[in-house]
Amino acid sequence: MSPILVGPLTVAGISTFLALVIAILDKFLNNYGQLKISINGGKKELTVKGGSALLGTLGAEGIFVPSACGGRGSCGACKCKVITDVGPHLPTEMPYMSPRDIEDNIRLACQIKVRKDLAIELPEELFSIKKFKTRVESIKDLTYDIKEILLSIDGQTIEFQAGQYVQLVVPPYGDMTESAQRAYSMSSRPGDTKHVELLVRLVPGGIATTWVHKFLKEGDMVEVVGPFGEFRIHDTPASMICVAGGSGMAPFKSMLNHMHETGAFPEKEIWYFFGARTTKDMFYLDEMAALSASWPRFHFVPALSEPKPEENWKGEVGLITDVLDRYLQGNVDRAKGLEGYLCGSPGMINACINVMKRNGLTEDKIYFDKFA
Amino acid sequence: MKLRPAEIKAFERMRPGVITIQGFLGNDIRPPEEIIAEDEAEFARLGLDFETVASGLEKLRAAGERGLGEPITLGKFLVQTGDARGMLPCPYNDGLFHKNAVSVRAADQSPESCVEGEDMLVFSDLSIHLLRVHHFCQGRGSPFRLEPELLKKMAVSE
Repeated sequence: MSPILVGPLTVAGISTFLALVIAILDKFLNNYGQLKISINGGKKELTVKGGSALLGTLGAEGIFVPSACGGRGSCGACKCKVITDVGPHLPTEMPYMSPRDIEDNIRLACQIKVRKDLAIELPEELFSIKKFKTRVESIKDLTYDIKEILLSIDGQTIEFQAGQYVQLVVPPYGDMTESAQRAYSMSSRPGDTKHVELLVRLVPGGIATTWVHKFLKEGDMVEVVGPFGEFRIHDTPASMICVAGGSGMAPFKSMLNHMHETGAFPEKEIWYFFGARTTKDMFYLDEMAALSASWPRFHFVPALSEPKPEENWKGEVGLITDVLDRYLQGNVDRAKGLEGYLCGSPGMINACINVMKRNGLTEDKIYFDKFA
Repeated sequence: MKLRPAEIKAFERMRPGVITIQGFLGNDIRPPEEIIAEDEAEFARLGLDFETVASGLEKLRAAGERGLGEPITLGKFLVQTGDARGMLPCPYNDGLFHKNAVSVRAADQSPESCVEGEDMLVFSDLSIHLLRVHHFCQGRGSPFRLEPELLKKMAVSE
């Protein structure tokens, strides 16, 4: 054998041997075998292969805990109560934990490994969450940066309440080598159980929005997981004060069409404040105008923050929080009480909560899913 | 250049799939220490300093926040600040940063014609920290790459 080859072959041989040793050790040392996960006091018992994160282990069993970051511990969405002692909270969990969470043994499912039998608590509604295979039926441009995506569900139906959201599964694309999930409110009506409609605004640098805007085509197959979320219409006579901007339109489109179509919540007066910068950023104006013309208890208040003179805008002008403030002080009837419904980024939601509280709404009557 | 163990660890964490799916290096084939050294040289050539640019980016972010998710005009620029649920750790393990994305483009340019990183500046709280403390502008092709020329045009002139 040539002496030139001896060195590289020796190194390759040692590396292969070490890799083999590591693989064998891993098989024995990290083999936790079959373990049991007891959920909600034994209402559901799972037998699972140990060693992986709780989030993925539950997902493999068809129990989908919400997560927006793919298990990297950077969204804090996958909180669940772990009754079994699994050690102290990890540094990666602490930013998302309140003192109350720590006291109640709330953990991030993506950070906890299944290394022994576990007893956990999950909201019952997570048991009905499913993964749906869908086909992209249509993609429409609503503005230059917002698309309406209609997904047709293959062989299943989806039951949800207006206001809830799904997680869109983004497959690897471009330089991306792994899949991601992002949350989007459904804009479709709950009565249409064969479709899911989403409104997706392009976010510079955004993984899911870039995929939807630049890669997704009609006819493509797409997976969604859901429905998730507590954001829904509350069955009281109180008037709804709804506020949104951009793709935050989605849950309100669903709620309004559902209420209009079914006559649900007949006592509720509905005020809907929708903000955009210019007419180029505004959409569904005709649909909303038609709805308010045929539905006396619905009041649509679109507002532009920076209308251009040539746009000849006749509606309200100002930031949506300023417009909301003006209407709450003068136009909105408070006789039956008020409830706030918000959809948007955390910053927008916080600003609206402040305006609503200043105008007498209490925080327990202001509803939102703060997921941006 | 001999790297310290903390730097080696940080550079590992910049790879795709560790902290974020896309990572911080884009399609740049240069090692991170070389990216930092070349951007430091470029900053010096352009007469920029990292602290001033980072403060300029913070001002842009704060201006964008006033738009509540919608774009807002700031002088000759249009700024949009969007935030999301959760936080991201710095690859150097010296802080956690709110997830957000700020975009800045010329107000008279149509959004459809804007190319991220070329005529649209895109950054986050984590980008500002990486720039200020670690002089790391991210690799070319990274969605949050801060091109020094673009920084001079947008983060310093306002």
